[in-house]
Amino acid sequence: MAILEAIGVGKVYETRGVETVALDAVDLAVEEGEFAALAGPSGSGKTTLLNLLGALDAPSSGEVRLDGEKLADLSPAALSELRLRKLGFVFQAYNLIPVFSAAENIEFVMELQGVSAAERRKRAEALLAEVELEGLGEKRPLEMSGGQQQRVAVARALASRPRVILADEPTANLDSKTAIRLLELMAELNRNHGVTFLFSSHDPLVLERARRRIWLRDGGIDRIEEGAVA
Amino acid sequence: MTSMLRLAWRNVFRNPRRTGIVITAVAVGIGGTLFSVAIFSGMMQQMVENAIQTDLGHLQIHARGYDADPEIGLLLEEGGRAEIDALAGDPAVRAFAPRIRGEGLVTSPSASVGVRVLGVDPPRERMLSLVAGSLVEGSYLDAPRRALLGEGLARRLAVEIGDKIVISAQDLSGDMTGEAVRVGGIFRTPLAALDRGTLFLSLEEAGSLFGLGSAISEVVVLGGARDEIPALQARVLAALPEREVRRWDELQPLLRYMLDTMDQMAWGLYLTIFIAMSFGIANVLLMAIFERIREIGILLALGLSRSRLVFMVVCESIFVTLVGLGIGFGLAGLCLVLLSDGIDLSAFSEGLGAFGMGTRIVPALGVQDLTIPTVVALITALLASAWPALRAVRLRPAEAVRHD
Repeated sequence: MAILEAIGVGKVYETRGVETVALDAVDLAVEEGEFAALAGPSGSGKTTLLNLLGALDAPSSGEVRLDGEKLADLSPAALSELRLRKLGFVFQAYNLIPVFSAAENIEFVMELQGVSAAERRKRAEALLAEVELEGLGEKRPLEMSGGQQQRVAVARALASRPRVILADEPTANLDSKTAIRLLELMAELNRNHGVTFLFSSHDPLVLERARRRIWLRDGGIDRIEEGAVA
Repeated sequence: MTSMLRLAWRNVFRNPRRTGIVITAVAVGIGGTLFSVAIFSGMMQQMVENAIQTDLGHLQIHARGYDADPEIGLLLEEGGRAEIDALAGDPAVRAFAPRIRGEGLVTSPSASVGVRVLGVDPPRERMLSLVAGSLVEGSYLDAPRRALLGEGLARRLAVEIGDKIVISAQDLSGDMTGEAVRVGGIFRTPLAALDRGTLFLSLEEAGSLFGLGSAISEVVVLGGARDEIPALQARVLAALPEREVRRWDELQPLLRYMLDTMDQMAWGLYLTIFIAMSFGIANVLLMAIFERIREIGILLALGLSRSRLVFMVVCESIFVTLVGLGIGFGLAGLCLVLLSDGIDLSAFSEGLGAFGMGTRIVPALGVQDLTIPTVVALITALLASAWPALRAVRLRPAEAVRHD
């Protein structure tokens, strides 16, 4: 069963009366446990589609379903709850909360879910170990390298035990060695936890490791490639 | 919730200089206002206490009808024995004293002045009134046929200690009567009206002057804290249903009005100060929101609800305000400690005396004086955060996470 579905999804942006079609009637289904990537050149609609699938934006036409639930039917509060319980995000610029330590960043999402303090601490330590940042939990983001920050971001995305992690250009600010290690880590998490990963990227390192590549061009799906390259 | 509070608290200090400026503005504003209120409050409280401890007491017990027409014939029999018995067992009564209150004309070789004549029981009166402690010359009614005068009255009559004066008055039966006494003591209190127009005699001599026998005009009662007085009044009234039992603020409504006006003025001052400050606080919060658009987008993407986002912004506003408020309280407290001996205003003694105030004003703050600014500050913090919070919740996550 598809965990994520886009059915005839379109997105039109309007700026000062000028309409720009970012997506046009896109149909896409992402199966549970997939390790897939949205690929394509800049402006092809990758990030827009990722935002729509992640309930960060609403489509101009068509519908998006997450775990069978039609997002358009949900109230803003229900959408927040859905993002909190079922989705995890990893962004290009890490986007950790700078006034929180690494452990606090990870625990924050769990606290929003109502997880007890002891359980949060235990899970945060385990996640930090899993992303190979054991002992760095008290460091603030600005005291960490880009790779370390992105691994904290992955740990944070996993902290809520989501069904799907959406990663928007997660390797864009990393050197290739760090990027490879991060992607290996994500692949392990995908294998070990069964978490669905959907990337938006034009980084060959990401695309080589994705088991399905959905190529977008001019707001529509150009082609879909199956099977990992690496 | 802990994380939200921690996040809000740390956000407040992300730009220490900007936050510091707002906190300083709040602190100086509140500290200055609080100190001004403390001085005014000190003046008002002193005025009220002076009136209570010289003339009014906390309660006065009279014969029925005295309040409407305080004539000499409305008396408490047997030296107020029934009234004194009713007061004796009440633990809230600190002191009480019988008095005779009448009008008369006092004549010296130089002048004649209309005065209020107060007959007092010196040992009891000492425990109730600060007049005994305000002597500048002579002694406090410790010999027969001695009168105690205020400094102003002595000056008007041009008399000194030992000089003879004649008091003329209308007695109970309506006949003119008179007594010749000597000036035994001269006092100076903060109440210019008392000093200029009151003459004290012993209770017996006043009784003899007015032909009252053993009857008295009133029993004056000093209780504990002012807020306990209404309960004491109710108890005394229940014990003496045939008597008029009046509180100090019923006897002198102007004093109550002045205290109430003082409170209203304080509210007005705080509201004005905080409304002005709210714009500064709102501005800082707005700038902080604009600087953190992407971060707010991330929080929304992580699943933070909009209500929690509003809570965070409100908390930031409250934290800034409360830190400023705390420092302001500290500043005002420091000033109060430094001025705990009072502010010497002896240069304005005559003018202050006309209002019943002393020449040394001790700034005073009560719990209420801290409650008002705290309440107003919290309301202000809520109002100041409304606009920034609205801006924050209107952010669209997809756009916010891409914001540079």
